[in-house]
Parts: sequence; structure tokens; C-alpha cells
Amino acid sequence: MQTIRLYGKSMAMLIRSQLQYPASFLMQTLAQLVMEGGEMLAVILLVQRFDHLNQWTAGNLYFFFGLMAVSFYITECFGRGITGAFPSMVRTGQLDTLLLRPRGVLTQVLCSAVDPRRITCIAVGIVSLVLGSRLSAIRWSFPKILLLLESIFCSFWLILGLFMIEAVLCIYSVKSVELANTLTYGGRSACQYPVDTYPRTLRILFTVVAPFALVMHIPASHILDKPLFAWPAWTAFVTPLAGFVLFGVMYLLFTSAMQHYRSAGN
Amino acid sequence: MNAYYAVFRLRRRLETQYRGAVIGGLICQVFFGLILIALYRALYAGKPQMLPFSHVATYVWLQQAFFRMLLASDAELMDKVRTGGIAYDLCRPMNLYGFYYARILAQKLTGCLLRAAPMLLFAALLPEGWGISLPVSLPALLWALAAWVLGLFCVSALENITMAFTMRTLDPRGMQAMMNLLMMILAGNVLPLTLFPDSWQPVLTALPHAQLLDAPIRIYTGEYALSQAGLILLRQAGWTAALICTGMLFWRRNQRRLVIQGG
Repeated sequence: MQTIRLYGKSMAMLIRSQLQYPASFLMQTLAQLVMEGGEMLAVILLVQRFDHLNQWTAGNLYFFFGLMAVSFYITECFGRGITGAFPSMVRTGQLDTLLLRPRGVLTQVLCSAVDPRRITCIAVGIVSLVLGSRLSAIRWSFPKILLLLESIFCSFWLILGLFMIEAVLCIYSVKSVELANTLTYGGRSACQYPVDTYPRTLRILFTVVAPFALVMHIPASHILDKPLFAWPAWTAFVTPLAGFVLFGVMYLLFTSAMQHYRSAGN
Repeated sequence: MNAYYAVFRLRRRLETQYRGAVIGGLICQVFFGLILIALYRALYAGKPQMLPFSHVATYVWLQQAFFRMLLASDAELMDKVRTGGIAYDLCRPMNLYGFYYARILAQKLTGCLLRAAPMLLFAALLPEGWGISLPVSLPALLWALAAWVLGLFCVSALENITMAFTMRTLDPRGMQAMMNLLMMILAGNVLPLTLFPDSWQPVLTALPHAQLLDAPIRIYTGEYALSQAGLILLRQAGWTAALICTGMLFWRRNQRRLVIQGG
């Protein structure tokens, strides 16, 4: 409980410090908006030219895109400590200071950074979700809303877990390992479209290794009433939990990697 | 001229130092290329287009191979402006515009060549419908190469203008992010320009961003006929000259009103 209070406090502090330069902050937030808007434009243009992707209509595709945008940028916003700052913390030896304090390392890393500029990206995602839902004429019901929220919540942990791969690797190798980002950024680019778009190998990769399909596409396809697999409806509620499983595995790896942490000195 | 060449050589050597990063970036780029092609294949299967699919695949691979050409990567100038280190550059007995132009050119050229060769080899080995296809003819390849060299000069001029813009504020990150994005979209990296709506094509292909990679790729695939190639190169050269002049003007004006920070 106290940890959550601490987290809230550091978030407030960080956001206030970022707002110290309002012009720069505004400009960067705007840049994020244009960036994500550009991504969405690409989807719109593709849909215009091709009408549909397999059995998915334009509205369905906007829904998938929105789900990915919202989940990914919530993670980039609140998980900034892992997604952005961690490699440099290891390289500069800044991580040492965290070891002295009476809180878990991961908690402190997550408390150390937030990226409120992503708010505009999340907004684009929400617009896309609403647009997709309208165009697909989704009949919303309470379980469906719950399923959507569960999917976004589990996606947060999944994406955070995937970003932790780089964190774990860079504890061993000191320098940042961009290669690990193939799964995160590559996964984002690939899985903003439903997984059945891709050939077998990529499908397996995004179902088993980086389970975007389990966490996002299966629930989303149920919400759209076009299930990806002919599985009973309740499975859509279970598969997103894969996000927690992946995060749990990465958490264990992270703690064991921290045992081997040798300071880079400063 | 010798001084600028020395800057160019120095920067080129620096760029070849981080081989690990190059390999990592390469694998990343290949992965992205495969994902994009898989996506376009699925879309094509649903609704075939006038444009043959092999052109799209070739477009994607050439864009991925020369991706580094588009990416703005010289963050040093920003730091120099913020810390006042720019004062040292002002003391150099050479034109600042030329100094930075040579640096950018070297960085882009080396970054590209290191990555493009292994990547294109890989793309050539992929099965039909996934990999890159051969140029439409030998003369087309030669014209495309010439167009690519012009594109390289053009993108360096373009980036130098962005840098001149960013010099005016102490925190240009927002501005830079926007310029980068504009580059990625209008140069055809996010989505091949050939897949943009047909009615947009006249405007898109006339913009300077289309001169960098889009023009050489279209010559390579035969989208632009050989008889047009001369005109395309002329358009590229025109943009390059215009952008260099604008850039020089900007830099000269910046130098007059530059405030040296720190002490």
C-alpha cells in the first residue's frame, strides 16, 4: 500500500518537473500526436486501397489498431523507467543508488520516470477504438467491456515484460541491446493487424514467444463477434492472462540478473 | 575542399566503429521488412492491384536497406548549441554549412553502405514473392544508382536545413521529432509512396522527400520509364540545388544571431 503511495508521489513530482518547460512539453506532445496520427493515416490509406484484410473490415482493423496503440503507449507512459531509461542507468552506474534504498529495484525504476507526452498517442488510440467500434457496429455488453479492459490491462504487463528483455540483457552486457527491441517495436508494428495476417512462423512467434495474439487479438476478435479460433467464449477471458505469465517470467529473470549485477562504476 | 573531405573521412571512420550495433540494427530492419511484406501480401491476396506485387516487395527491401539515409542522427550539434561548444566550430577556418554537410553526408553514406550490402543479399535469397527482384534493365540500374547519389546529396541538404531550424531553440526535440516523422512518411518508409492514393501521386512525387529514395526505387522497378529518367534526375538536381541554397542562407542568418551559451 505504501509502495503505491510512493509511486503516486513520484509520478506527481516527475510530471510537475516536466511541466517546468511548458512550451517544449507542448511541442513534444504535439509531435507525438502527429507521429501516431501518421501511423493511423497509413492504416487508413491501406484500408482505402484494399478495402479489407482477410475477413477483417476497415472498422475491425481500426479497432485492432486502437487496441495496440492504447496498450503500447500506456506502457511507454508509465513504464518509461524500463522502456527508456534503464540501459543508461546501468551504463552510468546510476542504478547503484537504487540498491541502497529500502525498496525493490524494479519498483524504484518504475518510479523514476514517466512520459506524459504519450497522452496524445493514447488519445489517437482511443479515437481509433471508438471509430472501429462504430464502423464494426459492435453490440457492447458488460462482459465485452470487461474483456476490453482486461485485454488492455494484461497488454500493459505483456509489453512491459517484453521491454524487460532488454533490461535483463543490458545488466549482463552493460551497453544497451537494441536487438531486443525487435520483439517490442516489431511486435507493435506487426500486431496492430490481427495475427492471422502472417505466415505460420510469425504467427507462432506472436502467439507463443511474444503472445500478442493471446492477449489482444483473441479478446478483440470476440468483441467483434468474429472469433479467431472456434474456442468456447470463456477462453477469451483466460488467454490474456498470458501477459501476466510473461511478465512473471521476466520478473524472475530480472531478479536473478540483479544478483549478478556488477556496478559499472562512476 | 580538402578540409571538407577530411571531415567526411573522419566521420566515415567513426561510423564504422560500432559493428555490433550495425548487426543488431540489420536484424531489426530485416524483421520489419518481413512483417511489412507479409502484411502487403495478405492485402494483395484480398484485392490485387494494378501495381505488380514484386514492385512492392522490392520497394520495401530497398527502403529498409537504405533506411539510415533518412534517419537524422547527428545529435552533437544540439549539444554544442546548448553547451556553447559551438564557439569552437565558429573558430574553424571553414564554412560551417560545408562542415556539417560533409559530416552528414559521410554518416549517411557509410551508414547505408554498411547495412545495405548484407541486407540486399539476404533479400535476394528470399523466395519469389518475398524477396527483392532484379532491376528492370541494366540501364535502369545505372540510372537508379545515379538517382540514388543525387538523393543522398538531397537528403543531406534537407537535414542541414532541419539542423539550422533546430539551432534556434535550446530544446528542439519536438521540432526534430516532427521533421523525422515527415521524412519517414513522405519518403515512403512507413508506407510505399506507390500505395498512396493515385490522386496524391503528382503532389507526393514532386516534394523533395520523394527525391531521396522513392525516385531511384521507381527507376529501378521500371515504374518510371527510362525516357523519363533524365527528367527525374533533373528534378532531383533542382531540389538539391534549391535546398543547399536555402540551407546556406539559413546558416548564415543563424550565425549572425547565434548566442553562445555557458562560459
